[in-house]
Amino acid sequence: MSADTFAPSLPAAAELSADAAVVGAGPAGLAAALELARGGLDVLLLDEQAEPGGQYYRRPGPEVLDAVGDHRPEGGRLVARVRAAGVRVLSGHTVWGVDDDRRTLLAASPGGAALRVRARWVVAATGAYERSVPFPGWQLPGVVTPGLAQHMSAEGVRLGRRAVVAGSGPFLLPVACALLERGVRVAAVAEAGRPYTPGPAALGALRFPARLAELASYAARLARHGVRLHQDTVVARAHGADRVEAATLVRFSDPGEVVARHDVDLLCVGYGFRPQADLAQLLGCAVDRDPATGDTVPRLTPAGRASVPHVYVVGEAAGAAGAPTALARGRAAALDILAASGRAPDRGERRRLAVRMASLARFTRLTAALYPAPAELVPALARRLPGSALVCRCECVTAGAVRGAAAAAGGSDVPAVKGGTRAGMGLCQARECGPALEALRADGPGTGAVPARVPLRPLPLAAVLGPAPGEDA
Amino acid sequence: MSGYDAVVVGAGVLGAATALELAEAGLSVLVLDRGAPNREGSGTTAGNLHIQAVHTRRPGQAVPLDSEGLLPAQKAADGLWAQAEERLDADLEVRRNGGFMVAETAEQRQELRTKHVWERRAGLETELLDGDAARAALPLLGPTVTAATWCPHDGYANPLKAAPAYLAAAGRRGARVEAFTPVTGLERRGAAWRVRTPRGHHDTPVVVNTAGPWISDVGALAGVDLRMSPVAIQMHVTVRERPVLHHLVQHIGEGMSVKQVTAGNLLLGGGWPARRMDLDGRSSAGVAGLAGNVAQAARILPFLARLRLLRMWAGPLAATPDEMPVIGPVPGREGLYVAGGTYAFTFAPLWGETLGRMIRGQSPRIDVSAFAPDRLTAPAGGADTAVPAHTEKGTAPC
Repeated sequence: MSADTFAPSLPAAAELSADAAVVGAGPAGLAAALELARGGLDVLLLDEQAEPGGQYYRRPGPEVLDAVGDHRPEGGRLVARVRAAGVRVLSGHTVWGVDDDRRTLLAASPGGAALRVRARWVVAATGAYERSVPFPGWQLPGVVTPGLAQHMSAEGVRLGRRAVVAGSGPFLLPVACALLERGVRVAAVAEAGRPYTPGPAALGALRFPARLAELASYAARLARHGVRLHQDTVVARAHGADRVEAATLVRFSDPGEVVARHDVDLLCVGYGFRPQADLAQLLGCAVDRDPATGDTVPRLTPAGRASVPHVYVVGEAAGAAGAPTALARGRAAALDILAASGRAPDRGERRRLAVRMASLARFTRLTAALYPAPAELVPALARRLPGSALVCRCECVTAGAVRGAAAAAGGSDVPAVKGGTRAGMGLCQARECGPALEALRADGPGTGAVPARVPLRPLPLAAVLGPAPGEDA
Repeated sequence: MSGYDAVVVGAGVLGAATALELAEAGLSVLVLDRGAPNREGSGTTAGNLHIQAVHTRRPGQAVPLDSEGLLPAQKAADGLWAQAEERLDADLEVRRNGGFMVAETAEQRQELRTKHVWERRAGLETELLDGDAARAALPLLGPTVTAATWCPHDGYANPLKAAPAYLAAAGRRGARVEAFTPVTGLERRGAAWRVRTPRGHHDTPVVVNTAGPWISDVGALAGVDLRMSPVAIQMHVTVRERPVLHHLVQHIGEGMSVKQVTAGNLLLGGGWPARRMDLDGRSSAGVAGLAGNVAQAARILPFLARLRLLRMWAGPLAATPDEMPVIGPVPGREGLYVAGGTYAFTFAPLWGETLGRMIRGQSPRIDVSAFAPDRLTAPAGGADTAVPAHTEKGTAPC
């Protein structure tokens, strides 16, 4: 017996096929699926959440709708159009890997049944992770990411009584506003950079008055509520015994200078978003390290086509740039696929979309220029972590242990540091500590990034086994 | 340029154990690795301590190994693992809680009985149980198990800790490690070898080739053809679970080993072939191996079916064409030694000691002449005909 005489990989798997399989039903995936279906392709849209919408258009459950309403009703309308266009929407289906042919997608149904999906085109719209950077005390209950705080607030949950929102990026402002709306007192917003001090970088953004007005309206609302906006400020430490009780904020440019200490029961810390590119990697797509963010990003054409020509990567998975860009990228990829399938879409439409994407890209670049580049910010924060601070919360690995492994005799790389310490080997598989691990290892030979692996999410073994004899699927 | 008493090529567990042995004897030792230490077979293996006789074939394995021929080495390795943590002054998560080797079919039961006879002959303590007795001893076993052998010496250790601990101990005795330093040349210069690397060369009377899947490549640099058959195999690990399984469980038929590691994860291995072996980059684990290994493991230990798979990975196995270990001086190349082959993790303390003794002109603890490298050096003319003699013996009962 040899490797190629094995039985089909997942003997009990149901098999689905389509012209195009779109993975992820956020803005980019929905936009791509809608355009592809309108162009006449048979489209399958797989998403791990219970309802389509992704993180941005996260669909509220019926109780939430009754209590607080729908904070982004345009998402619901887009989902309705996608369904009306004939897209087969498979919610609750986690794509956990790629079969040995590097082409067939493997998914698990909500009941845990295995599913193989074969499609002429694959569109990875897998979104982004929040970029977390460890700090002493980040393992305490009450420390959350801004994204979680926003979701819970949108669903009517008051996460705490008094909060600090910290990190970097434009997202911190709407999160603070969402907390205020739920009656949380926001003591301060701490931003690592100085984006809100008018400077040369801010001037370019004047060409995007609508987007600036949006940011200004958040800032105004925070000011009305007496929320302090600290710039050049980061969280040095979360204090507390069983849960967070206080946060110390220090100057980013001078960590010895304490800016404030706030008593809080909620601390939201995040440094923006980083692409979730592992599905694209499993499909064999080439990736690069983005010099500005330090993130692993797929190598793409302007329309989103990867180095493996039947694979497109769209939305935040192609590089975090926000929902309007995600929608445009989804459409652009779909139009490219339709053109390659001989269904020539309206040239004018493609041109208008290209113009819009160029304009969005300018805005993204200008916005990014206002905030510190993560490729510099994350290593700077990682360097000053005390040795006792936890880096990997799943496996309880400290910064000191990671540094020790990184300095192992003769040199080390990121996989060796993982193996030597168990950092990044727990339940989250380095989704949270990955950037810090990579930054702590700093430069050196070998692999500098956490590798992509099957399964993309912890996978019930029952999904590999299929139903037992005599049992219904 | 520098000089050493010995240069070890390959910082896996065999190279690390050999380096410690030599450094303890007072030799100056340099350990070179093409990448990070312990990143290939030694760091990706399942970490089993196989003391009872092993099954003879992995899935996909062409030639059965001579299971009986390994027993003296397994017995000796058992004694060395018992002292390893104390000797290295490190926690290697060594657990010697015993293990079961199960059978399902009549043919497999016969194999268990044959193996039990070998074990008795070799002075190794094992017990033959029928299915119900096995389930009474380990209630987690499923209904298809019809017999098992129990060996109180089987166990496991953490492969992510073993080689680093050997290297650290060697370092404390003066050995030097250079990672990311591939060997690019091995030249004979008078009574010494000149070991070339991109960062300069080192002169030494002794070169130890513990390069795992690259043993042939390193041998070729010295002008010797060491025929190896490296393969890539894969491992699977579940999320953490409360302590439920305290023993190693293996299958006599096809490759399967299951244990619960110290961190609480259940580790499923057994040598299923990886999707692809890539000796230049990283080998990749495949879904076919996953499905095969999980189906088998969940049949033997049904509780596994309710756990979640966290991760899977592939790594190379430095197999020889006859699936037996290789250890000893390379004929015709004075001062050049090699060690590798299957079950290298179990044998690491023994092979390290053995090479150390050979290099210092002492006799090894056990007779390893059957594993000498001469059988792998290609004879002039017919390179493919030299399948060694003990394959026959291995085939007979299994």
